[in-house]
Amino acid sequence: MNGLTVLVQKEWREHTRNFKMLWIPLVFIIFGIMEPVTNHFLPEIMKSVGNMPEGAEFLWPELKGEEIFLSLLGQYQTIGILVIILAFMGTISGERKNGTATLLYVRPMSFLNYFLSKWIVVNGIVLGSVWLGFMAAWYYIEILFNHVDAGEIVAFVATYSLWLVFVVTVVLALSAWLPTGGAAGLAILITLVYQVIDSLIGTYWTVSPWKLSVYASYWFKADSELTNLWMSSGLTVILIVILIVFGVVMSKRNAAKTTV
Amino acid sequence: MTTLLQVDNLTKKYVNNNVVDAVSFELEEHTATALIGPNGAGKTTTLSMLAGLVSATSGALQFQGDAKQDIRSIIGFLPQYPKFFPWLSALEFTEMAARLSGVETKQATMDAKKTLEFVGLGDAVNKKTGTFSGGMKQRLGLAQAIVHKPKLLLLDEPVSALDPVGRRQVMDLLKELQQKTTILYSTHILNDAEEMTDQLLFLRQGKLVEHGSLDEVRTRYAEPRIVIEFEGEQELRRFTEVTKWQMTSKGLIVSIDIRSEKVEMSSVLSVLSVGKFLVRKVEWQTASLEDIFMKVAVV
Repeated sequence: MNGLTVLVQKEWREHTRNFKMLWIPLVFIIFGIMEPVTNHFLPEIMKSVGNMPEGAEFLWPELKGEEIFLSLLGQYQTIGILVIILAFMGTISGERKNGTATLLYVRPMSFLNYFLSKWIVVNGIVLGSVWLGFMAAWYYIEILFNHVDAGEIVAFVATYSLWLVFVVTVVLALSAWLPTGGAAGLAILITLVYQVIDSLIGTYWTVSPWKLSVYASYWFKADSELTNLWMSSGLTVILIVILIVFGVVMSKRNAAKTTV
Repeated sequence: MTTLLQVDNLTKKYVNNNVVDAVSFELEEHTATALIGPNGAGKTTTLSMLAGLVSATSGALQFQGDAKQDIRSIIGFLPQYPKFFPWLSALEFTEMAARLSGVETKQATMDAKKTLEFVGLGDAVNKKTGTFSGGMKQRLGLAQAIVHKPKLLLLDEPVSALDPVGRRQVMDLLKELQQKTTILYSTHILNDAEEMTDQLLFLRQGKLVEHGSLDEVRTRYAEPRIVIEFEGEQELRRFTEVTKWQMTSKGLIVSIDIRSEKVEMSSVLSVLSVGKFLVRKVEWQTASLEDIFMKVAVV
């Protein structure tokens, strides 16, 4: 346990001092602010800079706060996930390649603690950033749109957080297995590209981690059937545990590949 | 003497290539052993296997003490080019190394400070390792390797990347450490091996081709000879005419093989004195470690 504390402290220091602890939350907060603000002022923006013909009238749809949350989730699903992959793709493979892992691997530490320390801190940064982003959005939604029930938002964010923990676990497990470039490529394929595939042909199955972001929106709709959400959440938790085990095994197996 | 580590038929195979091939040796407590060999001889792989970084294809390592303990807790390892997290200070890194080796937090801080002082980094404890020079990194590498007081210190070319001043300082530190711990270090700088060694292990293409104490190896490969340097060519010619010893000459220097000629220094000096030869230097020489290295370690 002491080993885990030391390694978590090391990860914390690393991400504080390389400013990931600052810029990643900032990215998510900026998106969180931009989404409600631009949607609210879009008619004015289009009027002044949209180059619309004289006298043209465009009927803008009246958006509700809940829809802004879903629109923000769409941004996080693409740009947000890309940020997560690019920021953390070298978490384990990078240490192996630059040789800094060598002086850790020769210590009597467990690879479970090694992997978990990274998993805990990276998830902390990602979830903290996304929560801050949604909170920023909530603030502006309350001012510019309508009131959204706090319970619904918490359930919505919690469901989406589970999907993000899955994304982080995929990125870290791949980083433990492959060199940084390969980990990034495969992570993009699994998290971003497969999302599109799942949305295109995924009607044949209803239980999937890739559907969690869709199921998260069910919290805003009354009388939604939540069975698929719960089953997908259960499957995601199982996959996360399997990926952690895979990541630990790969970290240990690839320890010999560290630069000496 | 107590054996700290026994290595039996240690082998590392990559595809069809035996990088380390059935290497066996013993390390006694509080001794320094030099692992010598040309580049690619398998020195780093051998050390990596002992450090637990690389798993052996076959063979056995037997450490003195509890068989169940993680051997990494009694080992300190210094790679040839140690890499540190540049955003950590020397103290933070050394303290982390100690804590990961099982030292309690408060004790780890105290030990880290003491160790950094010992390696000469007392003034740089709070400096980020990213700003360190090569010599400072090597000292920090040594500090992280010894901070938890390991029974066995594994050093991969500890001074090869240093300038003469840094080399001297690190060698002095290692000699001091030799009193407290067992050291196994790889090197191809033979002066270092001559300076600090109780046992020599010569590796060639993954195989242990020679081992023993410095004296034992020297005796085995000794080529004792008396070397005389004359003032001029005429003196040299006169000497070769007067004596019947078989000798080789190069320029103004002649070398007499003592073993084949059964010549003693006193008789050589007597001939030189009686014949009033003008000489610059008379010297008894034997095979240097470099000569032995060229014979044993290089194909």
